[in-house]
Amino acid sequence: MTAGAQRATLVPDPASEDAAIPVLAVSAGSETYGFPLSTVREILMPPPLTEVPRSAKHFLGVIAVRGEIITLVDLPTLLNLEVLDRQPLGRVILVDVGEELIGVAVDRVVQVSQLQPDEIEYASTMSADLSEYVVGVARVPSQSPGDADEMVILIDPRALLGGLT
Amino acid sequence: MSDPRDNVQQEFLAEAQELVEALSRDLLLLDEAHQRAERPASSLINGIFRSVHTLKGIAGMFGYKHVGTIAHALEDLLDDLRLGRAEIGDPLLDVLFDSVERFQRLLALEDPQAAEEAPGVDAYVAAVRSVGTQPAVEDGDPLHQYAIGQAVLSVLTEYEEHRLRACIREGMQLYRLRATFDLTAIDDSIEALRDVVHDDAEIITYLPSLEGGNDESIELVVLLASRVPEPELKAHFEGGYGTVEAIEEQKHLPTIPPNLTSIPPGAQSLLPQPEDEMGQASLRSVANSVRVDIRKLDDLMNVVGELALVRSAVGRAVAGLDGDPKHRHSLRELDRLGRGFERQLSELRTRILDVRMVPLGQVFSKFGRIVRQAAREHDKQVRLVVTGANTEMDKLIVEELADPLMHLVRNAIDHGIESVDTRMRLAKPAEGTLALNAYHKGRNVVIEVEDDGGGMNAQKLRERAVSRGLLTAEASQDLTRQDMLNLVFLPGLSTNVEVTDLSGRGVGMDVVKTNILRMGGVVSIASEQGIGTKITVTLPITLAIIRALIITVGPRLFALPISAVREAIPFAPQDVRTIQGRKVITMRGETLPICDLARLFGLRGAKPQESRFVIVCEMGNRELGFVVDELVGQEDVITKSLGSTLSSVRGFAGAADLGDQKLALVLDVPALFSEYFDGAEALPSAEARA
Repeated sequence: MTAGAQRATLVPDPASEDAAIPVLAVSAGSETYGFPLSTVREILMPPPLTEVPRSAKHFLGVIAVRGEIITLVDLPTLLNLEVLDRQPLGRVILVDVGEELIGVAVDRVVQVSQLQPDEIEYASTMSADLSEYVVGVARVPSQSPGDADEMVILIDPRALLGGLT
Repeated sequence: MSDPRDNVQQEFLAEAQELVEALSRDLLLLDEAHQRAERPASSLINGIFRSVHTLKGIAGMFGYKHVGTIAHALEDLLDDLRLGRAEIGDPLLDVLFDSVERFQRLLALEDPQAAEEAPGVDAYVAAVRSVGTQPAVEDGDPLHQYAIGQAVLSVLTEYEEHRLRACIREGMQLYRLRATFDLTAIDDSIEALRDVVHDDAEIITYLPSLEGGNDESIELVVLLASRVPEPELKAHFEGGYGTVEAIEEQKHLPTIPPNLTSIPPGAQSLLPQPEDEMGQASLRSVANSVRVDIRKLDDLMNVVGELALVRSAVGRAVAGLDGDPKHRHSLRELDRLGRGFERQLSELRTRILDVRMVPLGQVFSKFGRIVRQAAREHDKQVRLVVTGANTEMDKLIVEELADPLMHLVRNAIDHGIESVDTRMRLAKPAEGTLALNAYHKGRNVVIEVEDDGGGMNAQKLRERAVSRGLLTAEASQDLTRQDMLNLVFLPGLSTNVEVTDLSGRGVGMDVVKTNILRMGGVVSIASEQGIGTKITVTLPITLAIIRALIITVGPRLFALPISAVREAIPFAPQDVRTIQGRKVITMRGETLPICDLARLFGLRGAKPQESRFVIVCEMGNRELGFVVDELVGQEDVITKSLGSTLSSVRGFAGAADLGDQKLALVLDVPALFSEYFDGAEALPSAEARA
C-alpha cells in the first residue's frame, strides 16, 4: 500500500455514497488518538520489550513479532504531550506507515468509529499549532452514556514514518 | 564441501549454459523477425553478439578450446551482421542455430580439452566463415530487387555496395551504360565521363564487359544511379558514348534461393543429424544447477529460525510434564526425538548457508582485464598474481565487494606501481606485481590487495590532511606513522593531487572503507615507502547467520559476533590505568584499551565491578576490550535489521531473536571500533541520558 493511499483514507472520497471513514481510536497517556483503520494491521498483547540504548526518547525499544523486528513508539512523547498518569503498556497496534510496520504503544483500544467528513476538523483549517503527524481532530460520542464527546487526534501514518527516520 | 576446482568448473558451466540459453532465445527472435521480413532490432543483434563474446571470454579462461574457437568465428560473423556487412538469410540463421547445439554438446564433455570428442569443429568454423564472406544475398536486400546480376554484385567493393544501396534508398533509378573506350586513353576518357555525368548521375562502378571490345578498345559497363528521367539521360549519353538501359526493379522477382552451396560440401554433412547419438544430450541442461534469488534463501533461513522457535516451545511444553511418573517413558522418547530434530535443524541451516557460498574467483576473474587495460593506459607493466580464488564467501558479500576491490586494484596501478623508467632507475624489476590474495582466518575471510610500488608517503598524507583542514596542525603532531597512513580513509583526501582517469573519479578510499564497514568488515593499510602497499580487507564469511557470544550489560542481552572475539578474561578494576584519557589494562605485557559498555550505552551495571568480564575483540590490526556484566553463552543467531526508524542509532548491527520473543541487540563491532579509535563522532546520546 502506498503512503499516498493511506493519507487518502482520512480524506473523504466525493465519489463514494457512503463517505464515512473507519478510524481506530486508541487511548495513550491522557489523549485519544485515531488511526485510519486501513493502516492498522494488528492489535497485540505487548510482547517482551527490548530497549535500544542511544535511541531517541520516543522510541520505547524493539519487539519481535513472528520473526520481524518492530520498533515501538510512544505517541505522547513523540507529540510532546504530558502524561499525568502513565499506565503500564496495555496493547501494541501494528501500523503500516508505508515502507514498514511500526508498533504504537497504547493503554487501550477504545473503539472503531465511522467518521463522517463533516465531523473532522482538518489541521489545515485550524489556527492551533499542531504536530506534523496530526491530520486533524474529530469528536466522537463517548462510550459511557452521559459523558461529554471524546476528542480524537487523527494521526497521519505516512508523516509518522517521515518524522521517525 | 565439494572440491573447489569442481565448483569453479560448475560455475563456468552454469554461466556458459545461461549464455547459450540466452543465445538460443535471441536467435528465435531473430528468426521470427526474418520470417516476417522485418529488420531485426540492432539491440537484438548486439545482444547475440555480447552473449557469444562473453562465452568466448569465459571459455578461454576455463580451457574450453573448441567452444572458444566456435565463439570466435561466430563473433566475427555477428560483427559483420551488426555492422551491416552481412545480411540475415537462411544460411546464416542455420549456422547460428547450429551453434547452439554445438555449444551444448561441447559443454557436456567431461574433458574440455578432448579434441577427439568434438568432431567437425574446424569444418563448422569454415562453414561459419563462408556464410560470413558470402555477399549479401537475401530477399530483404534491395540490391536483389534489381537485375544487376550476381557477377557484378560479387565484385563490388564494400563502399560501392554501400553507395548502391544508398542510391536505391534515395529513390534513384539505376542505369547500365555500355560504352567503348580507347585502351590508350581509357583513364582520361573515364575522367571525362565522370565530368559529364557529375551533375546528372553517380557512377557506382564500371567493369569491363565480356562482349564488346577489340585490341585497341574495351567496352565497359558503367553502373549509374540517377534522378534524371530515362529519355533525358539517353539523349545525353547515346550520342557520344554508347547505349543506356534502365535496370528495372523486379518487384516480383523470386528471391534468390538461399545459397546453400556456399557452405563447403564437407561442412554440410557435419550439420547435426537427428540420429546423432549426442543429439539427446544437447536437449538437456548440462550443468545440474539452478540460479536462485538470494532473497529466497533469506526466506528459507527465516523459516529455519521459526522452526527453532517452535522446537524450543515444544521443549518447554515437554518440560512442563516432567516429574510425572506416568509419562516417564514418553518423556525420554520425546527428549530423544527433540535432540534429533535439533540436529537436523542445524544441518538444514548449514546446508542453506552453504548454498549462499560462492568462490571469490567470481570477482577476481574480472580484474585480469582491468589490470591489463589500466596498465596499458598508464604505460606501466603489471603482473597480476591471484591466490585463494577458491575461497568461498556469502554471495551477497562477493557481489558487494566487486566495487571496493576494483577501486583498490586501480589505485594500486595508478598510484602504487611506478612507471617502467622509474622502476629501472630504482633497480626494481621493470614489471610491477599486483597480488590479490584471499584466505580464511577463523570465521573471517581476509583479502589482500598488495603491490610492490612506491608505497605511501605518511608525512605527505599528514601535510595534506592539515592543508585541507581535515586535521589541525596541533593534532597532527601526535600521530604515529600508522595513524598518518590511516588518514587516507578520511573523506576528501586522496593520495594523489592530480586527478587521473583511473582513480580520480571522486570515489575515494573513504568510500571503500564505508562500504567494507557496512558489510561488517574492516580495512587496514600497511605501506613502506619504496617497497609497496598492502591493503587488507577482513570480512565475515556470511551475513545471514552469525555465531555470537551472548552477554549481558545491566538488564539487557547483547550479542557479540564471535568472529570478532578473541577471548574473554575476568575484569580486574584495580588494574585499570588511564593513558591519554583512555582507560587501559595490561594483558600479557601488552596495553589493551577498554570500553565499558554499561557506560557507553548509559545502562546501570548490574554486577559489582570485580565480577565483570572483559571481552577482547580484534578487528584488522586493532584490539579493544569491552567490559560486560555476564557471559551467557554462544549461539547461532540471525541478525535482523532494526528498520529505518532506528537505523541512525550507532553501534548496533541489528537484533537477534533468541526465542520466546526475547531479543538481543547485535553489537556492530566495526562501528564501535571506529567510534572508539577514530572518535569520528562524539557520543552525546548516551552521556546525555545517563
